[in-house]
Amino acid sequence: MGIHSITVTVNGAKERLDVPSNMTLLQMLRDKLGLTGTKNGCSAGECGACTVLVDGEPVNSCLMLAVEADGRQVTTVEGLAHDDHLSALQEAIIEHNAVQCGFCTPGMLISAHALLERAPRPTEPQIREALVGNLCRCTGYLRIIEAVQTAAKKGGA
Amino acid sequence: MAELTSNPVGKNTPRVDAYEKVTGTAIFTDDLQFGPGLYYGRLVRSPHAHALIKSIDISKALEVPGVKAVVTGQDFDTRIGLYLVDRPVFAKDRVRYVGDPVAGVVATSEDIAEEAAQLVEVEYEELPAVFDPVEAAQPDAPLLHPDLGEYKVANFIFPEPGTNISEHFRLRKGDVEVAWPRCAAIVEDTFRLPHIQHVPLEPHVAVALWEPSGQVTLWTSSQSPFAQRDLIAQSMGIPHGNLRVISPYVGGGFGGKAGVSMEVYAVAMARAVKGHPVKLRMTREEEFIGTTVRQALVAHTKIGCDAEGNLLAMETEYYFSGGAYNDYGVNIVRAAGYSCTGPYYIPNVKGDSYCVYTNLPIGSAMRGFGMPEIHWGIEQIMDQLAEKIGMDPAEFRRRNCVKTGDIILTGMKMPAIDLVACIDKVTKAVNWDERRGKARPRPSAPHKKRGKGIAIMWKAPAMPPNPGSSALVRFNEDATVNVEIGAQELGQGAFTVVAQIAAEALGVPYEWVRVSAPVDTKYSPYEWQTVASRITWSTGNAVKAAAEDARRQILALVAEHWDEDPANLDIKDGIVISYKSEREQPLKDMVIYGLPNENFEGWKGGPIVGHGKFMPTYVTNLDFETGQGPRAVVHYTVGAQAVDLEVDTETGQVEVLKIASAYDVGKAINPDLVLAQIEGGAVHGMSSAFEALKFDERGRPLNPNLVDYRIATAADAPRQIHGDIVETPLEDGPWGARGVGEHVMVQTAPAIANAIYNAIGVRFNDLPLSAEKIFMALQ
Amino acid sequence: MLARPALPSFDYVRANTPDEVVRLLQEHGQGARLLMGGTDLFVRMRDGVIRPQIVVDVKHLPGMRSIEYDEVTGLTVGAAVTMNQLARHPQVQTHYPLLAEAANSVASYQVRNRATLGGNLCNASPAADTAPAVLVLEGRLVLHSSQGEREVAARDFFTGPGQTAMRENEFLKAVRLPPLPAVSAGKYLKLGRNKVGDLSIVGVAVFAFPDGTVPSGYVFRIGLASVAPVPLRAWEAEEVLATHSPGEESFALAAEKAMEAATPIDDVRASAAYRKAMVRALTRRVLGSVWEVLE
Repeated sequence: MGIHSITVTVNGAKERLDVPSNMTLLQMLRDKLGLTGTKNGCSAGECGACTVLVDGEPVNSCLMLAVEADGRQVTTVEGLAHDDHLSALQEAIIEHNAVQCGFCTPGMLISAHALLERAPRPTEPQIREALVGNLCRCTGYLRIIEAVQTAAKKGGA
Repeated sequence: MAELTSNPVGKNTPRVDAYEKVTGTAIFTDDLQFGPGLYYGRLVRSPHAHALIKSIDISKALEVPGVKAVVTGQDFDTRIGLYLVDRPVFAKDRVRYVGDPVAGVVATSEDIAEEAAQLVEVEYEELPAVFDPVEAAQPDAPLLHPDLGEYKVANFIFPEPGTNISEHFRLRKGDVEVAWPRCAAIVEDTFRLPHIQHVPLEPHVAVALWEPSGQVTLWTSSQSPFAQRDLIAQSMGIPHGNLRVISPYVGGGFGGKAGVSMEVYAVAMARAVKGHPVKLRMTREEEFIGTTVRQALVAHTKIGCDAEGNLLAMETEYYFSGGAYNDYGVNIVRAAGYSCTGPYYIPNVKGDSYCVYTNLPIGSAMRGFGMPEIHWGIEQIMDQLAEKIGMDPAEFRRRNCVKTGDIILTGMKMPAIDLVACIDKVTKAVNWDERRGKARPRPSAPHKKRGKGIAIMWKAPAMPPNPGSSALVRFNEDATVNVEIGAQELGQGAFTVVAQIAAEALGVPYEWVRVSAPVDTKYSPYEWQTVASRITWSTGNAVKAAAEDARRQILALVAEHWDEDPANLDIKDGIVISYKSEREQPLKDMVIYGLPNENFEGWKGGPIVGHGKFMPTYVTNLDFETGQGPRAVVHYTVGAQAVDLEVDTETGQVEVLKIASAYDVGKAINPDLVLAQIEGGAVHGMSSAFEALKFDERGRPLNPNLVDYRIATAADAPRQIHGDIVETPLEDGPWGARGVGEHVMVQTAPAIANAIYNAIGVRFNDLPLSAEKIFMALQ
Repeated sequence: MLARPALPSFDYVRANTPDEVVRLLQEHGQGARLLMGGTDLFVRMRDGVIRPQIVVDVKHLPGMRSIEYDEVTGLTVGAAVTMNQLARHPQVQTHYPLLAEAANSVASYQVRNRATLGGNLCNASPAADTAPAVLVLEGRLVLHSSQGEREVAARDFFTGPGQTAMRENEFLKAVRLPPLPAVSAGKYLKLGRNKVGDLSIVGVAVFAFPDGTVPSGYVFRIGLASVAPVPLRAWEAEEVLATHSPGEESFALAAEKAMEAATPIDDVRASAAYRKAMVRALTRRVLGSVWEVLE
């Protein structure tokens, strides 16, 4: 099986990695870079726990090959806070008690972050629709939706 | 620095785990790093629902480069189980469900283990299988466990060897035969619930290391690190002191990570490759059939009332489909038996609750533990009875629901609760009076129909009589506090609540408290399991006792130092104060180093460590023939839900507009966390009304994946979820608190069914309430 | 029986020219699979349905990810254009809102960032959400092989579940949609088990425009998903609406005909009987809402 040498920027840092053909971006993040904030919930693009940004757009990292990330910018949950300052969205999630077990939270934050980047003042239906690919079994979603609204009011992602 | 919170009990303090969880730094089991020595395990599973194993050939698998070991049932002589020790470590001579593990392959990578697992050759001889619990309970049904009589069993569980019945609980109260003729209305019907799965976002994962010295460590995503230690130690012949279970954050449990399921396979495989940790993780597909599921139920229930609407009699038979192994399931069925009336006072009751082996995945604990299953039928019958005698269904419930001091079905006196207040709150929240006549709101489209429904519930923690909790409270030099518990943070907020309790009982700010994690059986004080909504109550009591113990030590020391009566001293915001002399002593100067005698002629005190425990001591056994006894359970939590929804009559689709819930939690230690449980549970309950695990006629799963097992998404969640908290203090709860983790989804499905009936006039006895089923019923 | 924990081994090759793709297809036959978004490919590889030795990434070929619109020739969508790219493209939104709507109905936002129009069509799932739209917009599929390019009408493309008119060694380069009449309306409605994001149990696309040459004065085209071995046009239903003036009565009749055109199966998602009934219900509904726009 082929091994590919790739260059990928992850949370702002350029990385050179050797990845086998069948390695997913999720496996690369978790197993090669130790970025375990991104979770594996189904390996089938259904649960959204592995959602990361690739060139600013959310994708299921379980359904993308690491080699496909060559030359691209990847942002994971670990890249949302800057200099120990949480993002408005992270703050809002805490404020609304919109986290329980926390396993969906990284992917949920990434999807919500991307939503606020493309639609800074989303309507409630827009928020719900944008989060359809991120399953949560604990919260019942409403607090997450409210947290996104709060973050939007405070000026975005 | 953020503000400090004094006296945090009853306040909405922020979660102690939130920062880690929003930054991706919270560690879950699969996130632990083990280095290049880590091996991976994969399981070989039975393709048949019921078959004899004729032979297993592992030679080809062993030849694969990178394969380190292959283990089978031949390598293990013992069984494992919580209440009924009925499960072999690997299937030995027969398989009992599609997915039953027959072998485990250990290799240097998951991929190699998977390739090799496909090369294990197993020869089977198929046996007749049985899937319906009523059929399986018949004398001529294919027998799953011919050796049932030899299995070790808890003294309150009663299997019937020679049959598939692993537990039969009998409840006899009054005389139903005398009561039926006095009933003005009787409803008798059969209700069915399918298997459902917990669907935690984090699939099960375990890593086991068996060191050549005999020390064994298991890292596991578990609600039950101590129960796992106990059961695996017994089953694998490991001294308890040599088995260490470490459990980081759990990514959702809902009962599915209670007891032991796949973890024992990790330990069994690790034994074969001593010195190397072995990681075993379930794929999402395996999570559905290879861990545990909620048992299916067939309920035959008959209930009658008089013309004034007083319930007089109930007769019920519950046949739970326990699946292939019922080690945990038997106690669900017992709980369904001793709570078989639901939250109602009924003077004459005849109840029989059966746990029946079936050739299906293992039925085990799931949020509600038998209660969602039995409430499905009961709560629909109550609506029908109310209708028959012309009474409003909410009023009917107010009249008949259990009240403080009632002698309930088992002969136990009902501890203080206020279910009527819960009913009042939810009916108000959905404008209950609008449910009929002209007041009814117009549906959003001509082809839609609007309806409202109500359902109420009760649930007791279902446990052995004596599950214990313990806690330690230790100080750091700056008087910040470490609370050590063996209870687990599953998302419900346990760590936050114990921090509040410790801070309140000690007299220090909430922000000073740290909860020691991960749970580690080597260092954490004992905890039975994080189940049964028992942590706020039971662990809470232990933490309160530990904090009070530390506080006593501190006050005694300072009193001695000041030559005052400890009764005049208090701790406020981390400072010991005297109400008499008005002296002050900050904790930070004394909780580790103690206090100097005058002129430093010696010291007194030393590091403060408070310890506390709690164990209910008052639960009694119940009579085998009648289920009667002085104290069946520790207490009950009660609640009500009302649902407002619309049915699309052209497609059968249901849109839940609003779910209003109210629960009597005794005392909300953290009201916002209680509301978070209520809201999340409402959506979990809603999903449970619309989803089912399906099997073909040979017991093969049809939808063990998230493509075809659909749970609610952000778009499906109701527009509004309303929560109300009722606080009738519990006698032996910390500040009166009782748990509310499971209750929040118990009655959602029947509340939805009752609302659908209100909308379209059709009743559904069988879950799930698929759009197709509703549409077809309307034709 | 159950999916593997991760992807089996294979070799990834990034193709830079169409000829390279054709060569690799010739070399490896069924052992080669083309990668665009991977949202179906990787799922099926994990499920063990297919096990290619080589995965050829074709999305970097020239034109594969571009959208071009021309008033005369219409719309050309590169095969590897993602659903989100399609759904938010200004000219697609303006001129082909039905296609944007269909693209936007697929799965979740993050899946739509990877899933492609070409992949959705080439997988030839009966449930493909973009297929009914492409059918009623009378799209044509541009196929490339060593013989050069040829075009196949969408209506001739689907030949069975997972089966298409694509020959071995051929691959999809683009989808072409003709320019549309100045006045037209279209809508795609799907029924899933969740409000949004599910696979369709039934999908109905309707496209309609005024046309003086047909007796009723209007052409209605109806495309169906998930109700037959292939996505299909409901020809008889369309015929009803060509000869009857638009209105509740003719819509009901057309919906009846659409239902008759459906030959669904029972599966874990829904029964054939329910699917048929839903074809009728949804077709009526979509016809009604399309007519509201046109009227």
